[in-house]
Parts: sequence; structure tokens; C-alpha cells
Amino acid sequence: MIQLSYLDYLAVEGKSFLHRLSAGWKIVGMLVVLSGIVILRNLFGLSLLYGILLGLFFACRLPLRIFSLTLYPLVFAILFIFISGFQIHFILLVFLKVLSGSTGVVLLLGTTPYPSIFVALDKLLPSIFVTALFLTYRSIFILLKVLEETQHALYLRGGLQWNHPWRSLNNISNAFGHLIIRGIDASEKMYESMMLRGFKNKIHYKGE
Amino acid sequence: MSHIHLPDGVLPVWLWASGFIIAILIGFILFRFAKKEVLAKKLPLLGMMAAVMVLGASVEIVPIAYHVNLMVISGILLGPSLIFLATFVVNVILALFGHGGITVIGLNTLTLSIEGILGYLFFRLFWKISKRLTPAAFAATFLALCLSTFSMIGVVGLGVSHYEELIHKDGGHGIFEFKLLKEESDPHEEGKERGEANFRRFIAIVLPLGFLGWILEGIITTLILRYIHRLRPDLLRREIKAS
Repeated sequence: MIQLSYLDYLAVEGKSFLHRLSAGWKIVGMLVVLSGIVILRNLFGLSLLYGILLGLFFACRLPLRIFSLTLYPLVFAILFIFISGFQIHFILLVFLKVLSGSTGVVLLLGTTPYPSIFVALDKLLPSIFVTALFLTYRSIFILLKVLEETQHALYLRGGLQWNHPWRSLNNISNAFGHLIIRGIDASEKMYESMMLRGFKNKIHYKGE
Repeated sequence: MSHIHLPDGVLPVWLWASGFIIAILIGFILFRFAKKEVLAKKLPLLGMMAAVMVLGASVEIVPIAYHVNLMVISGILLGPSLIFLATFVVNVILALFGHGGITVIGLNTLTLSIEGILGYLFFRLFWKISKRLTPAAFAATFLALCLSTFSMIGVVGLGVSHYEELIHKDGGHGIFEFKLLKEESDPHEEGKERGEANFRRFIAIVLPLGFLGWILEGIITTLILRYIHRLRPDLLRREIKAS
């Protein structure tokens, strides 16, 4: 999640052909990838899909640091393979589906600034939902900053130590409690400033 | 633990499509009866709590693949109708980071909302009865997580025949073949037994891990609520009064 701001930076600063493509087309592309993931049930088809996505990833010159994000969902897929009785075909199938999905999503976020994604979504989804999505996305950045400050305070109070689990749990909980209170305060201020700027249940994006 | 960490394409289409339809229907009904001004006023808070949940979900305890959801605490602070929208938003953002597939957003919203709504109701009830925050918060979180994990297992269980289809797509040749007990048997029956055993194995792995998670999240939620109660007691009382 910490890499979110870096992803955003890459999306804005990138100059590749995928960066220049409109957000709407990229969302359509993502839907095609998703359909492929849902429909394809053979290793060849999924390998091909993943290969294409990998090709696009490197063609867009996204840094390798971001590539690690595409591998993260494998942590959760491991739990699910127990259901298969360790069938290698099933494991590969699940892993390829996971990797194709996550690579597609990272490609979308790494090449499209988030306001452009929200503008495109605003045409398809209820505006209240897109506004909530936008505010959440913005709040993540606000809270990340608070979290950064809190981490220093946490470190000074002993931080997380496996040999002191109770103290660690207390520290984590206090950090989250602090994050929630600061978040609520920030949300109240955000609402007031939004009202001052004429907010009426909908956020209008640049160019609308 | 109740979050379905399934990739796209593993669950049968009818299952995830039903999840989407039911989630959209519930969302539609909630918006229909919600006061627009109240909803607009609470949107920044909703966004902030959703962001807290997203950040909570990104802190992974690697050995048991567990992360805190903070769903119960958000349910307590937002109330039952707003937590549904917050859950939907959280699931969309988490799916955009590969944390559960995009197609399972509807199902994840339903199971996680159960956690938030039940947490809110249990907390109110237990706090009213016991008058003590600590036991009320822990019991509410533990029970809410327990019930939502069972609902998640139920959802995964609905797709067993579909997983078998995917598993046996290559003719059933796996790394390990479990043919110790029967030398020759009806392939249909064998597949059925294997499928049942595998789902039991899934439950056998999920439940003990889940149990650890329920206790861990119960403790963390309780400590957070105690912290909030110490610094901003109005936040907890406001919801109780509003209900």
C-alpha cells in the first residue's frame, strides 16, 4: 500500500503508448483480461494471456520494483490450493489466473492516473459510489502520512517485538486507534472544505 | 479471515454473479431509504474508515496469512447501512491490488458486511447488558468474525463441484494420488469422495487459522475501542445514541 503514491507518480509521469491510451480503453482492456481469466481453463491460453500482459508490462517500462506487487496475491492463493489435493494442473491454473489478474490491475494503475479512472467509472456507476471510492482513495494518502508519523512514535515506544507480544499488540492497537481518531478529525475538516467549495453529493472532475 | 482470497475464474459464474446481484440489490435498497443529506455528510467519514480498513488489510501477518479487517470497529463507528457501502468500496480497492479477485467483490462485500453489521449489533447488545466495554468489544468481534468465516466457508463450499471440474480437467493426474484405500472404484464416486475430503481439508486449515485470527482481531479491536473510548468517548456514544 506504501507503493500507492509511487504507482500514482508512474501513472502521471510515464510516456509509453499505454500511458497515452485513454482510461476508458484501458478499463475495457482490463475487462477483456478479466473475461479471459474467467473463461480460460487451459494452461496454454492462460500462459499466453499472462505472457501478453508481461510483454505489455515491460514495454511500458514500468520499474521492476512495481513487478513485486503483481506477485503479492500469490500469498493468498497458496491457502486455496489445499482444496485441490495438490494437483499440479490446478495449482498452475490458479497461479496463472492470479498473476494475470494482478498484472492487469498493476498495468492499469501504473499507466492511468486515478482521477482519469474515476472519470471513466463515473459514466458507468452511481455517482455516490464513485465519490465514496474517490474519497477513500484520497483518504489512503492522508492516512499514509499519519501512519508514517505514527510509525516513528511507535518505534520510540518499543515498536513491534515478538518477545513482547502484549506490548506489541498494545502498540499496534494504539497506532490504529490514533489513525482512526486522526482520520475522523480529518474527515470532518474535509467535509467542511468540500461544502465551502460547493459539494452537492457529487465530485466534478477537471474537464467535466 | 472472512475475506475470500480467491482469484478470478475459480468460483463458478452463477455464484459470483449472484453475489454481485444480491450486493447491488441490498445497496440499492439502502440508498433508496437513506437520507441523501445524511449520506453526503457522512461520505468523508465513510471514505476515511474505508481507508483505515484498506490500510489494516495491507498489514500482513505472514506465517498465518492473516491481516486485521477492522470491519467490526468500522461497523460500530459507521452504523449498519454505511458499513455496507464502505465494505463495497474497500473490496473494490483491495481487488485493484490483487487482494481477492474482481469477480468476487460482490461475495466479499456480503460476507464482510455480515461481520460489520453483526459486530455493530453484538457490540450494542453486549455493552447494554454488561455495561463494560472490554468484554463487550471482544465478544462482539469474536462472534462476528466467527459467523462471517462460516459464511465464507459456506460460499466456498457452494462451488465444490466447479473446483472438481477444474481439478480433473487434466484427467486427474496430480502430484499426489490418494488411492491407498481403494484399488478399483467407480470414478464418479471416487471424485465425489476426493472432492469432499479436499473441502474438509480446506475447512480444517481455515478454521484453526481463523480461530487464531478471531482472538487476535478480538484483542486488537478491544484495545482500539478502549483507546478511542479513552480519548474520544463521544464517537462511541454518538453511534449508540443515534441508533
